[in-house]
Amino acid sequence: MSAGRLVAVSAAAVVLGACATTTQKYNWEKYDPALYSYYKNPTKLADLNQTLEAIIKSADTNKAQVPPGIYAEYGYLQLQAGNAAVAVSMFEQEKAHWPESRVFMDRMIKVASIPAPAAAAPAPSP
Amino acid sequence: MTVMIKLAVVGATLALAGCVNAPPKSDFSQFRAESPRSILVVPAINKSVDVNAPDYFLATIAEPLAERGYYVFPVNMVRSVLSDDGLSDANLVHAGDPHRLGELFGADAVMYISIERWDARYAVFSTSVTVELTYVIKSTHTGTELWKNHQMLVYTPQQNSQGGLAGLIANAIAAAITKAAPNYIPLARQANAQALTTKGTGLPAGPYDAMFGKDLADF
Repeated sequence: MSAGRLVAVSAAAVVLGACATTTQKYNWEKYDPALYSYYKNPTKLADLNQTLEAIIKSADTNKAQVPPGIYAEYGYLQLQAGNAAVAVSMFEQEKAHWPESRVFMDRMIKVASIPAPAAAAPAPSP
Repeated sequence: MTVMIKLAVVGATLALAGCVNAPPKSDFSQFRAESPRSILVVPAINKSVDVNAPDYFLATIAEPLAERGYYVFPVNMVRSVLSDDGLSDANLVHAGDPHRLGELFGADAVMYISIERWDARYAVFSTSVTVELTYVIKSTHTGTELWKNHQMLVYTPQQNSQGGLAGLIANAIAAAITKAAPNYIPLARQANAQALTTKGTGLPAGPYDAMFGKDLADF
């Protein structure tokens, strides 16, 4: 490789280096694409659930950092699916990890703790 | 005479700006004074013709904002909760009082995004995809605007360099494919990255970033 070419390559590397984002603080798995797919096609809800679960699990196993909002997002999907107890525990986790979420999470814990009215539709049978 | 001098000064300033290749630094005094820890992203206002644009965009914004060092409220949950509370109309939410949102969610600041353009312009032999966004952050404590940014990105698929009829046909096919399924998401991600991280105009590092409070020279 000629010297000129080497210089060109290092210059390109420097430019790329300047543009590249620094290492990520959090483990996002496929959160952004999974949310996009879900908005594009609401039947992809299971994929979004799995992605959120994977983020939370990897924090338990690999000590990866769970991004802000993820425990809450997962809890809310669980609440919508009728799993109020799981939802409350996730909202508690969000609050414990991120004190900024306290007001919102306290409000949602109250909502999740209201017993579902008897008239509420049961979970659809498979 | 004075006009001449002024013009000369403006010219010199422009030339200098050209040298450092950086836009003029935004005014961060309000932002620094309030130093928000948490940001609530509400659904975007849509001025484009694509009804799905606000949802698709929402999927791209949480990650870069949180990586900048802020607590970002769960975007999908916030969208649903607002909708359940009768606030599914983004225009109403944007026109409302940020203080009220602050009370509901306990947020320090609200980010309002306006989708100005989200479209593919089709010509037989080439297509361009455009994403144009305006970002505003307002304080929930004082209601004042803390930060603002604007991005416009245009993507034109590489023209086929092959000459003659074959080249034209190849370009037409590429344009038709782009038209049929334009992918706005990479453009939206790029717009977010530029809006949030460009020195001088981006968002200062938040409390969960190592640079928090140490980047005053840049922001």
